[in-house]
Amino acid sequence: MARWISEEPGEEAALLDALGISSTDALFADVPKKARIGRMGVGPAREEPEVVAEVDQLLERNRPLSKFASFLGGRVTSRYSPAAVDSIVSRSEFYSAYTPYQAEASQGMLRTLFEFQSLWVEMTGLDVANASLYDGASAAGESLLFCRRIHEGSRFLVPASLPWEERSVLENYASGPGLTVATVPYDDRTGRLDLDFVRDAVAKKDVFGMLADLPNGFGHIDEGVPELKSILGDIPLVVAADPLSLSVLEAPGNYGADVVVGEGQGFGIAPSFGGPLLGLFACRKEHVRSAPGRIVGATLDTEGRRAYALTLVTREQHIRRSKATSNICTNESLMALAFVVYATVVGPRGLARLQTTIAEKARTLASGLGAIDGLKSPRFDAPYLGDFTVELTRGSAEDFLDRLRRRKVLGGHSLKDPRPGATPGPDRILVGVPETATEKGIQKYVRAAQATVGAAGRSS
Amino acid sequence: MTFHQARWDEPPVWDLAPSADLEAPPTVPGIPEKLRRKAAVRWPELSELEVVRHYTRLSQMNFGIDTSPYPLGSCTMKYNPKVSELLARRPGAADVHPYQPEATVQGSLELTWRLERLLARITGLPEVSLQPAAGAHGEYAAMLMVRAYFRDRGELAERSEVLLPDTAHGTNPASAAMAGFTTREIRDKNGSVDLDELKHALSSKTACFMLTNPNTAGLFESEILEIAEAVHGAGALLYYDGANLNAILGVTHPGRMGFDVAHLNLHKTFSTPHGGGGPGAGVLAAGEKLGPYLPVPRVVKVGRKFRLDYDRPKSIGKIKTAYGNFGLDLRAFAYILSLGEEGLKHVSRRAVLNSNYAASRLGKLLPRPFRTLVKHEFVLSGAPLKEKGVRTLDLAKRLLDEGVHAPTVYFPALVEESLMVELPETESKRELDGYIAAFERAVTDTPENLRAAPRSLSVTRVDEVRAAREPLLSWKDLRAASAKAETQ
Repeated sequence: MARWISEEPGEEAALLDALGISSTDALFADVPKKARIGRMGVGPAREEPEVVAEVDQLLERNRPLSKFASFLGGRVTSRYSPAAVDSIVSRSEFYSAYTPYQAEASQGMLRTLFEFQSLWVEMTGLDVANASLYDGASAAGESLLFCRRIHEGSRFLVPASLPWEERSVLENYASGPGLTVATVPYDDRTGRLDLDFVRDAVAKKDVFGMLADLPNGFGHIDEGVPELKSILGDIPLVVAADPLSLSVLEAPGNYGADVVVGEGQGFGIAPSFGGPLLGLFACRKEHVRSAPGRIVGATLDTEGRRAYALTLVTREQHIRRSKATSNICTNESLMALAFVVYATVVGPRGLARLQTTIAEKARTLASGLGAIDGLKSPRFDAPYLGDFTVELTRGSAEDFLDRLRRRKVLGGHSLKDPRPGATPGPDRILVGVPETATEKGIQKYVRAAQATVGAAGRSS
Repeated sequence: MTFHQARWDEPPVWDLAPSADLEAPPTVPGIPEKLRRKAAVRWPELSELEVVRHYTRLSQMNFGIDTSPYPLGSCTMKYNPKVSELLARRPGAADVHPYQPEATVQGSLELTWRLERLLARITGLPEVSLQPAAGAHGEYAAMLMVRAYFRDRGELAERSEVLLPDTAHGTNPASAAMAGFTTREIRDKNGSVDLDELKHALSSKTACFMLTNPNTAGLFESEILEIAEAVHGAGALLYYDGANLNAILGVTHPGRMGFDVAHLNLHKTFSTPHGGGGPGAGVLAAGEKLGPYLPVPRVVKVGRKFRLDYDRPKSIGKIKTAYGNFGLDLRAFAYILSLGEEGLKHVSRRAVLNSNYAASRLGKLLPRPFRTLVKHEFVLSGAPLKEKGVRTLDLAKRLLDEGVHAPTVYFPALVEESLMVELPETESKRELDGYIAAFERAVTDTPENLRAAPRSLSVTRVDEVRAAREPLLSWKDLRAASAKAETQ
């Protein structure tokens, strides 16, 4: 068994002696007999090499992304992370620490989080970022509650193209205070938000906020987003932005966004079957006391040295309890470290280069697929930076993806809500092009798609 | 004092090099002018070595469980086994996308399924979801499930209130409030739930009673069966906050105690690292009443294959993208496999033994407000320090000078100047004695030294009042502040 508990001869006896008891049984005398359990049934202990072998055996039943030509996109990406990032994240002074409640003992993590906050502020053009939330979707959920704290109303507008998972998360966050998530339709050709619909909704005076995502749930860049604020007026605008896209796209704060949230996983964090991820949140300074989550502030020590501490804590659950701005306690600090180290290693110009390279590869793939009879690619006539939507004119998305998989191509994921009872949508696939995609891999996808759609055509 | 933390005179990352030219980044075809970034992200361009040195230096100004005992009460700062770190970085674990076809992620699905079965046995609650990303996230999801349950029964309009003891973690009332409930605190009697008060407060308005057992005073709620009976008798549900599960593994479990739903913190009891604030994993386990309401997807076994099941009509849906924090689930799985049944029982026995030992020794230095038999943690009162003109805060800072972390301070609030101490099973008697000796030196030190602490760290006492009064929350704020200072 593992050596994680000291078993020095006589040690436990000495502890028991000091307490004047002969067995640890006496320490559980306060647990009533009727509440006791027998065996839990978790099996025998294993030595370290056995554990390694058993976990490895399980992991062998996974086929990692490297075994495929992979084009999975969405909020979770498989971007390459320089080895230096994990080297820093692996330092146990960081990863084995708790929340920096004792500022003096935790300046390393506090300073890192301050740098992380600063970076998200620079990227978004807003004033204040928090020290992270769970993931992009829950950050969007928190932004909904935040908007309601700074503006009256009962409806929160979101694009109809929002991924179903995020929509579900938002509906949960809205349900507590009895708020409604309302859908803004999109133009069928471009996927763009229907701005007239937004105008009409605003005129009803019950909208307390709106979220627009860049790229949107179809992977495309909606040119109408910068116009939203002039329609919304003093109703807060939340932009859910992919951080890499902000290396080339205008900072949303500069066109009126009041909140910018995002999923930070693509910056130095492995996909790991979907977690841990990283929720990003920034807002304007005038609203900071309504913001959720931990915030690190700069101050001084008694000798006038620059020092950092968790601050504005009266917003938080451990002080304000049921009146807190959020219940969040544990966040994703270590992932915030990965984010800032990744961005600093790659550098601002490197990020922009990376984004333009990915966009170029995406255009090659999208037009390659677009030449195939049976596929509409890209489905929407709108710009894109790496993800885009393909629509099948015959056959099902699931079947198409399954056939691709047999040819060692992970061609994307279906945009359908898989829950029974969900409105059946068209057969659309979100394709994501990673930076590591090669010309060979792109051609492999195109050929596999051709063969697959051809086969589907014959069988139907 | 023999301890000295590194004190690098390390500037912020933006002072290490000039930022990139603020000229516009390259354009991407098709992006309209109004959406193009006009100036590059303001951030320095550094060599990889410069970046590595910067963050390595910062890491050296940070306590972790690998550098020091870290006895934060209710945080269960135990050793994070290195083998788990190794396994979580395997390509078969890390290089796997959540949207891969099920046939290509059978390993992740099976590991998830097996961990869920293990946690079901450990909690005595058969239905498990790994989706919540942290303890508070699990609490929140559970409160949404409670809402959905009473909505289905047509009782939601009436059952609008969640009860909790005054010893509850702050996340409990915050989670209940976010889910749309009003909250009401039940006063304690000598640190435990006052059963009469609870019975008095329970009514047809009560949706749920949230309880941590053992509680944050370190006391086992011995009347738990009567509590469960009273809560269920009122038609309400009973919620288990699993922050303190480390005390009772193999002795009792939430299912046997009568709880309907529980969250567990894998980053506490099950040894996954806390990452300087996160990530965590806030697994939910539920009995038959609330099981159908757990988030989707659930992992099911069909024949020899594992699948993601979305066909749960009563489910609350999603609370985050994808599934759980798989990287942490894997670490917890390796931990449970390593220890097995007897090992897990030993964890709690030794954690409680350590705690009672430390409590009996430290109880000679500062008063203990409640009964002496405690579980995995205990509470002291720093009130007597006031006689020499110092506070619990000063003691906490003075402890840091000994190279050890301070306990949780000023919580639970029902004890004046409280310190909540948890020294888990992975601390040897030598480490415990070392901590106790450090504590004794700190508590008996002169008021001047206590107030001047800490002196051995990278900074001296940090002015937190100033941080809140004049918020400087980013580099942008620092730039504005220095521009303002220059014009004055």
